[in-house]
Amino acid sequence: MPLGSIVDFLGNCPQYIANGLANGCIYILVAMGFNIIFNSTGIINFAQGEFCMFGGLFAFTFGVTLGLPLPVAIILAILATAIIGALMERLMIYPLRNASVITAIIATVGASILFKALGRMFWPKEAYKVPEFSTGNITIPGVTVSRQFLWVLGLTVVSVLLVYLFFNRTRAGRAMRACSINRQAASLVGINVSRMSLYSFLLAATLGGIAGLINAPYASYSIGLFLGIKGFTAAVVGGLGNTFGAVTGGLVLGLLEELIPGFLTVVLGVSTGYKDAVAALLLVTVLLLRPQGLIGKGVVEKV
Amino acid sequence: MAGEKGGKEAAAGSRFLALLKRNRALLIFFLFILVMPLWAENVYKTISLDFVFIMRLVGVYTIAAVGLNLLMGYAGQVSLGQGAFFGIGAYTSALLTLKAGFPVWVGIALAIAVSALFGILVAPVLRLKGHYLAMATLGLAIIVFVFLREMTWLTEGNFGLSGIPSLNLPFTSITGFDLPFIKDKAQRPELYLQFYLIWIIVFAALILCSNLVRSRVGRSMRALHQSEVAAEAMGVNVSAQKIKVFVLSAALGGLAGGIYANLQGYIDPNMFTITLSISVLTMVVIGGMESIWGAVAGAAVITFLPKMVEAIPKWVGDAPKWLERYSNYEGIVFGLILVLTMIFMPSGITKGLSDLVRLRRSPFVNPFRRKAVE
Repeated sequence: MPLGSIVDFLGNCPQYIANGLANGCIYILVAMGFNIIFNSTGIINFAQGEFCMFGGLFAFTFGVTLGLPLPVAIILAILATAIIGALMERLMIYPLRNASVITAIIATVGASILFKALGRMFWPKEAYKVPEFSTGNITIPGVTVSRQFLWVLGLTVVSVLLVYLFFNRTRAGRAMRACSINRQAASLVGINVSRMSLYSFLLAATLGGIAGLINAPYASYSIGLFLGIKGFTAAVVGGLGNTFGAVTGGLVLGLLEELIPGFLTVVLGVSTGYKDAVAALLLVTVLLLRPQGLIGKGVVEKV
Repeated sequence: MAGEKGGKEAAAGSRFLALLKRNRALLIFFLFILVMPLWAENVYKTISLDFVFIMRLVGVYTIAAVGLNLLMGYAGQVSLGQGAFFGIGAYTSALLTLKAGFPVWVGIALAIAVSALFGILVAPVLRLKGHYLAMATLGLAIIVFVFLREMTWLTEGNFGLSGIPSLNLPFTSITGFDLPFIKDKAQRPELYLQFYLIWIIVFAALILCSNLVRSRVGRSMRALHQSEVAAEAMGVNVSAQKIKVFVLSAALGGLAGGIYANLQGYIDPNMFTITLSISVLTMVVIGGMESIWGAVAGAAVITFLPKMVEAIPKWVGDAPKWLERYSNYEGIVFGLILVLTMIFMPSGITKGLSDLVRLRRSPFVNPFRRKAVE
């Protein structure tokens, strides 16, 4: 292990950290979607990654194919994704509200396959260029980031803040938190649990749509699986069900995913292709060693 | 002395008859498979469906699906990683026969061993339940896929391995035989041999599994599916039992993969992605949970579907353009099968339909009207 390559690696670190932050922001939004749905329905939505896919692809359709102004296209893309989320809840999750865990898993896996295939049918190319919010790069010594990066950071911070306000300041948000603590008790005090499930899918799909948008400049039907597993990893690292644990989880995953392959490539000369396995390895490791997440509390199984 | 022996033989004979009687369906299916190449070869050109060719693949997928069904249908542990074990089996057998010059059947036997070993290695994930287990096995499938793709010094990466030796009769150099009664058709000796070899293995695996699920092990599997706590209280060693069935399921996946590699002659990592895991899952869902023989039906439906779609233009002359490329809408078919089956017949299609016949009642429950229990 030559010393020079380690120096090279350390020199690259600021760039890795910048890239990691940008990816981490996307994972945060996906992970929050997982958490919100898990809290109000007890289901892990395997189609969460496909919401991001729809966000990006709709942005392409509205922004490029139809040529709408960018802000309008963005809002329409998010709305369209939210509608898909709501449809999924009404047509699939609601009928399965009393189903067993296996049934729910297979059904959402099926939904994810179905969404991906629909994406492939209507947007058959491997990559679509989605307009960036603003183009060009900013260079600070050692780090080059695109202007888009500032939008990514800003939008993520705003989204997280809005979700925080929603859960703490609004009636619906507090009702959803009640559901996450105890669904039966929530329904006894007059909370419409099934409507909360609908809201959670709306919210999760909205967040997924935003994640797909800021995943620009490229959108593709095939991004869902990897974004889904990475978002879930972020959620698990932060403690599944802990909406704001997702922030920690997303950042940890984003950084590790840049730093580990960076180290392997620069110092050890290993192929960068292993990058795709980092999230999955982290997921399996955390699930086995600390299933309650890095910052979560232990859970006791009820009989 | 002689009389006693005769009596024993008679008893054994009648027991054998009783066994046949009980397994009438199995016997009919066995005879069907036995004579299939004879009629299939004669109708091949007429209906443009190469039954013998396709049924070999059905056999391979049946083995993988029955393994997953033991784990998922009986023991209630969802795995999205069956494709990974399939891939590990395929690569083990391919590398051993291609690069180390092992005989094909030794390669396949070691494929079983390596997959089972990998199953033991990752068995700690069975501590996880439900959604967590499903995600962890999905993660494992991705890890295996990435390593198969990136370990180019061993697996040649995306180029794949080609020229893998094909199946032969064990301990001989016989690689094929001709069939009698085939009219004006070129004989395809290798195909027939592969077909029969594979289906012998499939029958062995199916009989093994259907005996297993009726044994003490099978009952304890179902018990832990219902309630792990209750099973534990009744004296079932839940974690040991889960690991056993997981390893068996991995071994069956590896067996299927090993055969697959020697059947296709070419493999690359993209054959063993999550899509493969999902198609095996779809086979189990079609075949029905807790149904060993359903796996055959599931594998047959999923394997025949693309071939039938390819054949449609030859039947009707002019098919709509979008119909031609099955891969374009394969996902829609899988997705709809999975979602609709889970909503309307959660125990699987075959089981739902057989309930319809047996119980003379609709297997459909209207999930939109079901009263909330909560």
